[in-house]
Amino acid sequence: MHTSFLWAQTRAVAQRLLLEQWRQKRGLIFWAVFPSTMMLLFGLVYAHNDSMRAGLDAAAAGILVGAALFFSCLGGTVAVIAAERERGTLPRLLTTPLHPAAYFLGVVIAQLLLAFMQVVMLYSIALCIGVRYQGSLLLGGVVLLLSVFSYVGMGFFLGARFARRSEEVVVALSAIGVPLLVLGGTFFPLEIMPQGMQAVAQINPMLHMNQAFKGVAAYGKGFLELRFELTFLLVFCGLSLALGIHSYRHLLDVDKSK
Amino acid sequence: MTAVLQIDDVHKWFGSHHVLDGFCLRVDQGEVVGLLGPNGCGKSTVLNIVCKLLTCEAGQVRLLGEPLSKLGYHARGLVGVCTQHTALYPDLLPAENLHFFARLYGLSEKERKERVTELMHFFELENFASTRVGQLSGGWQQRLHLAVSLIHRPKLLVLDEPTSAVDLEARMELWRLIEGLRDSGTTILLTSHHLAEAQRLCSRVALMQSGKVVAEGSVSELLARIPGQAVAKVQSKNNEAIMQRALDLGWQVRQRAGQMRLLLPRDLSLREIVESLEGTQVSAVSVQPVSLEDAYLELLGESAARSEGLSGA
Repeated sequence: MHTSFLWAQTRAVAQRLLLEQWRQKRGLIFWAVFPSTMMLLFGLVYAHNDSMRAGLDAAAAGILVGAALFFSCLGGTVAVIAAERERGTLPRLLTTPLHPAAYFLGVVIAQLLLAFMQVVMLYSIALCIGVRYQGSLLLGGVVLLLSVFSYVGMGFFLGARFARRSEEVVVALSAIGVPLLVLGGTFFPLEIMPQGMQAVAQINPMLHMNQAFKGVAAYGKGFLELRFELTFLLVFCGLSLALGIHSYRHLLDVDKSK
Repeated sequence: MTAVLQIDDVHKWFGSHHVLDGFCLRVDQGEVVGLLGPNGCGKSTVLNIVCKLLTCEAGQVRLLGEPLSKLGYHARGLVGVCTQHTALYPDLLPAENLHFFARLYGLSEKERKERVTELMHFFELENFASTRVGQLSGGWQQRLHLAVSLIHRPKLLVLDEPTSAVDLEARMELWRLIEGLRDSGTTILLTSHHLAEAQRLCSRVALMQSGKVVAEGSVSELLARIPGQAVAKVQSKNNEAIMQRALDLGWQVRQRAGQMRLLLPRDLSLREIVESLEGTQVSAVSVQPVSLEDAYLELLGESAARSEGLSGA
């Protein structure tokens, strides 16, 4: 298949997803309100308390990577897959020349654009309440990019394997996501957790996403200082995408044989 | 002439279940071929193989003379599919759905605009141009679904029970539209549980049972295979007496699902039938010319009887 045709299909899928997102006004409002409210609430709590003010920059970074992008990119991808299955559009797509890679890339691109908008929105709020971005924009961008790819890969895995109906998306996200968020240091710093929890948290990829972005955004750390987190994130991103692609292929085979 | 679709001796197993057992079918340019048969006889499996959603273990399927296996993704551009369940994007407008699928098939922007306008007009969707698909009624959604399946000008249109999920009025409208497609030369392979639908739309019908075609021909050819010109449906408290009288008169008798059907050698009026059956305690009788439904029951029943005979031998 020609690359230009593949790219045209990828764009068609991405544009359709963004248009659908735009049309679902209620969903769009929650998409904006949830992380904005969290950012404002955490920001006000941290800014109000002198002893905690220093933690404001890190809290803002954690909310962006740990909460906003998690629900937007991972939750969004699971919701896309569940909706395709529920509406019966997935078998319909299988009868067209749509290449599986074009579909996968289309979802990735749509989620990347949504993530970009969320980053701009949240950091605009954050800057207004006194948050400072300390490090390299490029390195921060790389961390966010790897995080989004990881979330989308995980989203394909969860969506293809577990979420058959839209209602199951919220339950699946809550059951899997909230413990990961807590253990990932999104709401509390790792240091205040019991030793056992800290040890378990080390295998949680969200901890390393959080620490990598907090390292860049809040503490101005560079590539060398964050090499462990970045390596972990890169490996996890690769695994997550591979798992997502494998799950998506499995889903197509299952739907084909129905 | 090269057939649009040629299926030769196709076999398909699901585990130990032999779903298609030497299935053969040919569909020529401009034909509307109906594939009819009871649930589980393998109709959907045939369609799924044609649409490349399934592969067959033996036999060959050719589209425009080319083996399906060699056509790869290109095959999907030759076939359009419309199933009974609409698969559309409810938050998009009708034209947006059409544009999306057109892009998947690789139509250029100019082709896309022309084709979308053409289909919106043909399927009379213009009045709903600014209505989201999720807000359309089932019948209008099915029209759009049919339009989507034609967006890329397929060489073969596959309709899998296209009117099963809509009400009577919408069904009549869809029949009118499918007739329009037939008259414009679209080649169609159709499955349906509505025999009246097949009788009205199809130029040829293949009756399927246990994974193979057991009878095939135009509707009039199939009707000619029924040993009668008309069918009388009779209710009586004394079926034995009716059967005996019918046999005395040289009429063939069929009993299915508690209903007695008499195959009449010529069109008889109700009065003539009632008079002929006098004294047999008839409580209700109706008569109508033989239809595809009668051919279906007759020929599939014959085939089942032959199979039983063979297995018993």
